[in-house]
Amino acid sequence: MKSRLLLLLLALSLPLTACHRAEPRPFGIKLVADPAKPAEAYIEVQGLDERRLRSSTDLQGMLSVNVKDPAGSFASVPVAGQYAAAGDALRFRPAFPFDPGRSYRVTFNGLDKRLPIQETLTMPSAAPTAPTFVTHVYPSGDVIPANELRMYVEFSAPMGRRPGLDYITLLDHRGTPVVDPFLPVDGELWNGDRTRFTVFFDPGRQKRGILPNREMGASLVDGKRYTLRVSRDWPDGHGQPLRQAFERSFIVGPPDRSPLDVSSWRISPPREGSSDPLVVTFPESLDHGLLMRAVGVRQNGAPMIGDVRVDADETRWTMTPREPWRAGRYDVVALGILEDLAGNRIGRAFEIVSDDDKEEDDSVMTFIPFSLAR
Amino acid sequence: MRTKILTTLGVVALAGVASYWTASGVPVAAADVGPQMTSIGPLTFGPDGVLFAADTQAATIYALELGDKANGGAPGTQGVDGIDQKIAGLLGTEAKEVIVTDLVVHPRTKNAYIAVMRGQGAASKPALLRVDGAGKIDIVSFDTLKHTKVALPNAPNAGTNPQRDPRQQSITDMAFADGRLYIAGLSNEEFASKLRAVKYPFATADNGTSVEIFHGNHGQLETRSPVYAFLPYSINNQPHLVAAYLCTPLVKFPVASLQAGTKVVGTTIAELGNRNRPIDMVLYKKDGREFLLMSNTARGVMKIPTDGFATATPITARVATETGGVAYETIAAMKGIEQLDLLDGSRTLALSRSEGTLNLVTAALP
Repeated sequence: MKSRLLLLLLALSLPLTACHRAEPRPFGIKLVADPAKPAEAYIEVQGLDERRLRSSTDLQGMLSVNVKDPAGSFASVPVAGQYAAAGDALRFRPAFPFDPGRSYRVTFNGLDKRLPIQETLTMPSAAPTAPTFVTHVYPSGDVIPANELRMYVEFSAPMGRRPGLDYITLLDHRGTPVVDPFLPVDGELWNGDRTRFTVFFDPGRQKRGILPNREMGASLVDGKRYTLRVSRDWPDGHGQPLRQAFERSFIVGPPDRSPLDVSSWRISPPREGSSDPLVVTFPESLDHGLLMRAVGVRQNGAPMIGDVRVDADETRWTMTPREPWRAGRYDVVALGILEDLAGNRIGRAFEIVSDDDKEEDDSVMTFIPFSLAR
Repeated sequence: MRTKILTTLGVVALAGVASYWTASGVPVAAADVGPQMTSIGPLTFGPDGVLFAADTQAATIYALELGDKANGGAPGTQGVDGIDQKIAGLLGTEAKEVIVTDLVVHPRTKNAYIAVMRGQGAASKPALLRVDGAGKIDIVSFDTLKHTKVALPNAPNAGTNPQRDPRQQSITDMAFADGRLYIAGLSNEEFASKLRAVKYPFATADNGTSVEIFHGNHGQLETRSPVYAFLPYSINNQPHLVAAYLCTPLVKFPVASLQAGTKVVGTTIAELGNRNRPIDMVLYKKDGREFLLMSNTARGVMKIPTDGFATATPITARVATETGGVAYETIAAMKGIEQLDLLDGSRTLALSRSEGTLNLVTAALP
């Protein structure tokens, strides 16, 4: 009696809502997805007795959602999520958004849990995206040293999370895949937006004298031609294959076991008063990724900010300043982490002799001064 | 009850500040609720059941206080066949969209915690799952978890191109010992092989010290070399780390040698064969002897007695055969192991792949 009175009061105070309730919605199982916010999609069983729904203490027992796998069967474990009563509807929000294009079976057991009704609903597919493709592979040059340490594969859009090494093959001059040339890394090595994949050649194969090198030989043999192949099957961030397979051929030269020598770098100073780029050229290709952050310019010890470009097969570094050059003393600086293609650093080769070793310090900087006269 | 009230008051008092001070005067990061993890990689348990979880994408380590997520399940872990499909079902997707990144066992409840990434691209999300003694799988929601965190330092930058992505590090393994969390990592650019030590509880302005780990080979040449799996181990009452590199030398180094600014070269005590990558290591005792059990990508699971670790002759000369140093035995029964931990004093817990399906399996210690 009391509750009837309450309902009447509610009906009077909320005429709009009362109108709705006067004509209950027909029963239906719906997947409610806003095309602008697909991640917020939920499943609703509508047209239920509001009062009984509200008083129920086991919403989860009334409804279960099971994902359909590609083979057409349904998962034995229901999808985890939150259940809530919303007016005349029982609402299910998954713990993780429903996948675009995927089907889910909804089982509604009735408010008394004796009436199983099943319906299979499908999330709308995502709008098609342009296929992703390989935009560049570093190093850019045609010749790499036999002890090349790493390559970067750059993509036009973010890539997925499948292990990248499953999709990269190194072929020798006969077209035969080289066995295990690369270093497998848990979690793999990507940049922040997953558009650049770092491939390390297994240093165990490149280093002299250690077991893998002795038993399997080096991955790269001086004088031979190789091809790096990226499979089209590599799924991008939308789970789609690449636009096409990618191949890059290169010739292997002698191993490089010499430390970097900054005295061989050539600095072409810009004109005072101009905004011309400062150009630094190196006698060999250096690592592209490290050139972008481990080389800089300082004026009176303070870093100058500018637009950095690396080209000419990573033998040239240019910096265009934001403001015109003023007369004065400058330094080109290189951090201790800068490496060439074989991992050699300034004053320190990749492979070092234990006895004459010094402590390594990434923060050590090398300064190469130049002046601009008025 | 009184304790409860005091604890509540303590939490309230801390809620408004960024840090507090321990008795020794070290500022300690205050707990926050609901970690905003972008990814989840290696896991390891610390003191009092705190779960360290690496967000490799953000180069941040979270210390998660599991609270009631550590209780409530049936104690222990029961094996689950086709666990990849079951996890996928729970997460509303198919098995190939789920990538398992680690498995650890809670030291007290013996429940299993599994870290996964769900989905592929920008929509990819981290998830943490618990499997209990009845084989029930639950999602551990991040929303209500108390946590502290520590960010690894940004990569060095010369300062001229500051827009350059500062996060370059991947985290390959973690272990906790003597108040410190040890983190092994690898950069996606320079060939660094850093081992970082961070004190726990995390301090507000301390992201730890790092040393470069070297691998000495047999021609007196040394190189930087990434550590793939390691664990704390005491040799002659001195804390050590026993670590495995790629292709697969087993090395030891004293914790005391891990001082910032020094170069650490591990002592190679075994060569365990090439074309191989270590995955996980656990220590156990059986019949009065201690063993190291190590799972690998290509060479199965190795059982290595540790009683020779202290006295093993360092391998400084070439081994004539494929392997050398401390002897080991390959456990033929343990196949396809992708993740391994110790379940209790007599069993292992592993994620093992068989005919394309991932199973959570328990097995008697070999």
